[in-house]
Amino acid sequence: MSTQQGQDAKFFQRGKIEEFRAELQAAESKDKKYQKRKTVLKKIVANITMGNDMSPLFHDVIQCIGTPLLEIKKMVYLYLVSYGRSKPDQIHMVIPSFLQDCNDRNPLIRALAIRTMAYIPIPVVTEALSDQLRHCIKDRDPYVRKTAAICVAKIYVADARKAERAGFVEMLRDMLLDSNATVVANAVAALSEIGDRQDGVIFRLNLTVANKLIASLGESSEWGQIYILDSLLRFVPEEHSEAEMMGERIIVQLQHANSAVVLTAVKVLLYLMNYMENRRLIEHICKKMGPPLVALLSSGPEVQYVTLRNILLIIQRRPTVLKNDVKVFFCKYNDPIYVKLAKLEIMYRLAREENAQEVLTELEEYASEVDIDFVRKSVRSIGRLAIKVEAAADNCIQSLLTLIETKVTYVVQEAVIVIKDIFRRYPGKYEGIIPTLCENLDALDEPESKAAMIWILGQFANRIDNADELLDDLVYNFLDESTEVQLALLTATVKLFVYKSTSETAKALVHKVLKWATEEIDNPDLRDRGFIYWRMLAVNPTLAQEIVLAQKPAITTDSDRMDRGALDQLLLHTGTLGSIYHKNPETFIRNAAGRALVDTPALNPSSKAVLITLSRPHLPPTTVTVQGPGPIEPTPVPSAEPSKSMTSAPSEVGGQGLLDVDDVVTRPDSYDGEADVDGEDEDEVPRKAGDPYANLDNAFGGYLADKPQPIGGGRGGNTNVDDLLLWGTAINTQLR
Amino acid sequence: MAIDGLIILDANGRPIIQSGYTSFPPAYPLLHIDALNNELAKAPSSGIIDPVVYVSSGGGGDMPDCSACCHIQVREIRMLASISGDMDPLVAFAFLQAFHDILQDYFGTVSTVTLKGNFDTVYQLIEEILDSSGHPLTTSSSILRDIVLPPSLLSTLLASLPASSSSVGRSAGPISLNSTGGAFASPIPWRKIGLRHKSNEILFDVTEEMRAIVGRNGATLASNVIGTIECNSRLSAGMPDLLVSFSNPNVMAECAFHPCVRLQRWKRERILSFIPPDGKFVLEEYQYAPPQKAVVNNLPIPVSLKPNITIGELGGNFMVTFTSRMTKSMENVKIEWYLGEDATGAQCTLSGAGSGVGSTGGAEGSWTFDSRKKTLRWEIPTMHSLGSRILRGSWTSKAQVPRPAHAFQIRFELPSHSFSSVRIDQVRLSSELYKMYKGVRVQSCGSIEWRW
Repeated sequence: MSTQQGQDAKFFQRGKIEEFRAELQAAESKDKKYQKRKTVLKKIVANITMGNDMSPLFHDVIQCIGTPLLEIKKMVYLYLVSYGRSKPDQIHMVIPSFLQDCNDRNPLIRALAIRTMAYIPIPVVTEALSDQLRHCIKDRDPYVRKTAAICVAKIYVADARKAERAGFVEMLRDMLLDSNATVVANAVAALSEIGDRQDGVIFRLNLTVANKLIASLGESSEWGQIYILDSLLRFVPEEHSEAEMMGERIIVQLQHANSAVVLTAVKVLLYLMNYMENRRLIEHICKKMGPPLVALLSSGPEVQYVTLRNILLIIQRRPTVLKNDVKVFFCKYNDPIYVKLAKLEIMYRLAREENAQEVLTELEEYASEVDIDFVRKSVRSIGRLAIKVEAAADNCIQSLLTLIETKVTYVVQEAVIVIKDIFRRYPGKYEGIIPTLCENLDALDEPESKAAMIWILGQFANRIDNADELLDDLVYNFLDESTEVQLALLTATVKLFVYKSTSETAKALVHKVLKWATEEIDNPDLRDRGFIYWRMLAVNPTLAQEIVLAQKPAITTDSDRMDRGALDQLLLHTGTLGSIYHKNPETFIRNAAGRALVDTPALNPSSKAVLITLSRPHLPPTTVTVQGPGPIEPTPVPSAEPSKSMTSAPSEVGGQGLLDVDDVVTRPDSYDGEADVDGEDEDEVPRKAGDPYANLDNAFGGYLADKPQPIGGGRGGNTNVDDLLLWGTAINTQLR
Repeated sequence: MAIDGLIILDANGRPIIQSGYTSFPPAYPLLHIDALNNELAKAPSSGIIDPVVYVSSGGGGDMPDCSACCHIQVREIRMLASISGDMDPLVAFAFLQAFHDILQDYFGTVSTVTLKGNFDTVYQLIEEILDSSGHPLTTSSSILRDIVLPPSLLSTLLASLPASSSSVGRSAGPISLNSTGGAFASPIPWRKIGLRHKSNEILFDVTEEMRAIVGRNGATLASNVIGTIECNSRLSAGMPDLLVSFSNPNVMAECAFHPCVRLQRWKRERILSFIPPDGKFVLEEYQYAPPQKAVVNNLPIPVSLKPNITIGELGGNFMVTFTSRMTKSMENVKIEWYLGEDATGAQCTLSGAGSGVGSTGGAEGSWTFDSRKKTLRWEIPTMHSLGSRILRGSWTSKAQVPRPAHAFQIRFELPSHSFSSVRIDQVRLSSELYKMYKGVRVQSCGSIEWRW
């Protein structure tokens, strides 16, 4: 082995074009078994991989294409893949060899030739390939047929309309009935690729073909199964029974060893459930979906991470899935941090009155861990739990107080931040702990915790005897503080003054702060707010008191879920990048056709109510609908379908739902009764382009940086029928 | 639905080999490599970063605006797959795993040296398993071996000879392979036709792993047992149809199978009916479902740990007692304890608690302190039934208030033990006439987090 390595290491030496050329020419004579040529070509390919430009050798390399040695042929083809497209004026020289190889005795060579041609998007090559593909699609060897199927997708990319006129789409369709499962799977993959293009034909399956594809699942490789399952999303059930029957046949695919197959099957089931009527079946599927998802969590951390991000989506739409499995998501000490954070979020989502204590004990455990980021999020989760589950609030507060006693600064700061929200959620219940908080004032050195503490000081200034002293200390560095803290100080001193208008300290304090805010500060938000308060206090102090101390709406975390319609749409992308970043693919990629539920008589009323339709901005002028082989269905002509989905929402843009959420999610502060004109979100959190989570917070109500919302601030999604599944079927029958 | 491309990076983050990326501008793969390297540079010492790294291109040319880079680490090298748009990262991870398995199968070890040494083979492999549009194709190495020749001893020898020396060439004539050998003629994608083995045998390896978290009061917080049945099949001829029945199939829940298993048959009769692939493959994965529902999340843990820890300034003392509750002997017990970022060293003594049956000298095991990982590791090679071991010692730390982990990680192996006591009852072969050798091996292991 060592000699071989020694040899091959030599290939990686930077070579000169001239030397290679000379060596190739020398190899034309006296080249036994073509060893010399093989060596030179290997060196050339190695140079390509090192990023050296070998394109000047084009002419010399293609001379070797006729060599009757498969290894050499492969290397020449590898070279052509790299440089073919950059040589449009010379490529015609290779075409005769291509054509010869397309008709070679050896199926490997036939396939290699068409595959390489497909890589070179130059008209003259595509032209030649089109002619050859016609035969190759019907080749007797399945290896050639499956390669041909993929090549069709390539020539479709080169010129879609031409490929359609040549009838390639129909040929692909016929390949769905091939006897070889790999060929079927590749035909499905090619049709899907074409169908996903914005200028592509619409690829929709009818019932017969869909059933045929499901039947062929058993003989497919795992990759084939993924293409086929994914293509089932292109089947639009017209009747409940169609969706139900198909769902029952797919359930069994959940028992697959390949994680991607399982998640794709879950995606199809979630999709079909939108078209089902039978509540018992829906419940059954929900029950069946949980365990395979849990089983994926025993895989490597990468798979765990992707699975967890998807589970988070799924349980928001179908809360019955995994509702009794919170223990599965307990974090292990050795879990990578990204897995821990994803688990934490799910634990919070799954927390209910029944398991709140269990979850709390676990969160307390995490709060004593070493990783700072994880500890902070755990502490914050304890607070969120208090807000979410009223019955657990007492214990959560107790546990937060214990944590504050540890005096670990970041723990104290997080605790203060969440306690502020707990005060909002349960007014008049826990204010007794304020003195404890005040003792830890010095530990707060981050803007968010400082602002939270200042809010507490201002809001409860009447209950804190030395509030004026404390605020006076805090105001000392006013001009050096961050905007967040300055805003909080401004409001808090105004509140203090309204409470204690007789106190001289309060008066001096508010005067000082207002003067700073309006004269020394450049930030327009702060300045304007300063002016508003100042005038209010000057013009009508009584009214000011009413406004500043107005009763605040209580907050809840129920609405920190995604909009139902957006969720439905996102679930069509279960397992995809969109599901990890919780964004629709078309919002972050061009040329990807979005997916949306199609409205048919079979669509659930609850899904229909939140339906987000999607239009394809650039439909081809002539719509070719692939109907699939087999008898024509009596159901509505599929070609009518696309136009239907188009007309129903011609102006709507994909991803609209997510934008809605962005608009709706509001910070609790804006309900604070304070004159809130801040645009501080944008100012303070510059969205980093490289950070995938930068935009996430708003997309689904915050990833742990949770923002509790006023009750009633949520969307209609909160009262949907499916959520009530939790409470058993009795209510559901009433609802129907 | 496609993988944009595949890159293998060496230990320094430089690409060794990458796929064509023909549909993308040349900057695209570079962008992915940079994104990954940047993340790694930013990561804390542990080097743990999100497995899906987001890549933003700023939308130049034909480049996807945003894409992601899925990566796995195999020893010193990293394999990454670029994906964009409506793509399932799990496909990328499953694919990377499959690709790694193929490389391992071809070259024995996957390292910078072997990959560079066989780059032409790797390229051919990439061509076969990932098509130009990025669809994973064949990943079964037994089929790939017909299309891409592995670097055999013969070809190694030939390559080392001077090219001019006349000697035996490839015996198959000018074109060394003149047919696909029926690789794709087979009606099922995981097995080719016309296999020949000298002796026909099929071996089943049942491995069960217990994973559990034990709380500080000694109560089990979460536990489950995951079983894997690995199969090594060397059966001749076309389509050997196997039937495997279990004496107690009901202990297996949430089963996941290799694509070859007929799922409907399992659903109906709880019998595994399948035509096996050739070579090694994972036949089934399952979770142990105890007969009484009540113990599902509360399986008895076969070990126990009594930590007694006092944390002082700049360090602390501890006495940890480890006890086996198994009547069988336990092997390769490893107990790890992270002592915190500031830990500087540890001193320990080991002793047996005396109650162990036939504890021999040296069987107490050994301890080490890994100063890079700040972890104390205690290893006991063999632990006889119901034995106990004690680790006493102290550690030092730079921190005034040391913060060691509040959990011990315990690993152990139990040869020829099964938590679920699942048993393969019968293996029957139909459609072929020859006799075959059948073997079943059972083993278990545990991975327990013990909090204090």
